[in-house]
Amino acid sequence: MLVNDKIVSERLSARNIMVWDPLVRLIHWSLAIAIILNGVIVDEESSLHEWMGYFAVGLIGIRLIWGLIGSSHAKFSAFPPNPVAAIRHLVALSRGDKTVHLSHNPIGALMVYNIWLTVLLLGITGYMMGTISFFGVDWVEEAHEMAFNWLVCSIILHIGGVLFDTWRTGVPIVSAMINGRKRILEDSPIE
Amino acid sequence: MIARYFPIIKRERRAVVLSTIILLQALCAIFFIGDVIYDLSQGDHLDNLHLILEGLAALALIAGVIYLMHELRDLLDRMASMEFGLRVARGEMITLIESFFDHWQLTPSEREIAFLILKGIDNDAISKMRGTAQGTVRAQCTQIYAKAKVDGRTQLLSIFMEELLHVGEER
Repeated sequence: MLVNDKIVSERLSARNIMVWDPLVRLIHWSLAIAIILNGVIVDEESSLHEWMGYFAVGLIGIRLIWGLIGSSHAKFSAFPPNPVAAIRHLVALSRGDKTVHLSHNPIGALMVYNIWLTVLLLGITGYMMGTISFFGVDWVEEAHEMAFNWLVCSIILHIGGVLFDTWRTGVPIVSAMINGRKRILEDSPIE
Repeated sequence: MIARYFPIIKRERRAVVLSTIILLQALCAIFFIGDVIYDLSQGDHLDNLHLILEGLAALALIAGVIYLMHELRDLLDRMASMEFGLRVARGEMITLIESFFDHWQLTPSEREIAFLILKGIDNDAISKMRGTAQGTVRAQCTQIYAKAKVDGRTQLLSIFMEELLHVGEER
């Protein structure tokens, strides 16, 4: 009884806040799996590679609609692409700021848009490679390659950013993307 | 104890199910739209009955997805406001309990035991948790009941219940 009570109070305590709704989490991990499968495991020439590409682009399309009509932390308005805010955040970081952002922090927000655009670019160039007019055209294939390399860099930076922010704020961000809740330390300022 | 918060946990599960359905249905919609566009590009025309039906199916799926997304957002909003309300109510409840304890002039250890009593823990478990003899806990309980001028556990609880229900009536 005591143990249950403890779990439930932790779920509801003032500093344990539901931020990522299930749809955001499902799309995030589906996209991660699609990228890993297409980048590492699935044969590039196979039709499965094409279908995974459509799947990934479809996921982003759904996420974009959810960004317009979705829950408060999932909306674009919660994490607008704002380079000025990102620079300000960077300056604040160098001063040892420990503010916790309920949605993405300004730099993380830029990374989110970057990854979505890169996957869309991969989808477009990948589709073009399969069309008659662009089949075998060098620059399309190179663009597809470069977009993929950029995506790998972005994902490494993304994971690095997650680890850094977990260390900086003490909020376990990975588990927030699994169970949806950010557990925020007592003395952290929230934005 | 978990049953008290069951509505929230049940809603969380509903949100997960709803999200999964939205995702699958949206992917189906995208598939159908893609197929319609492909057929059109292959020289099919909209007077083809098969294509019309496919187009209608796609539209119905999109409408369904948008509707379910609205439902999901409403559900998430309700969950958030319920959690917020519970948090506020908890804060108020703690303040109320503290003020009663102050009024009764309970000692620190009596306060602790009184809290455990309110949480529904029996004397046996309290003595184990605090590492004291059962007799000591019993004596402390008697002291608490005497200070609160009640006959026992149930009456102690009812003081706070009454206070809560009263507030509701007055408003």
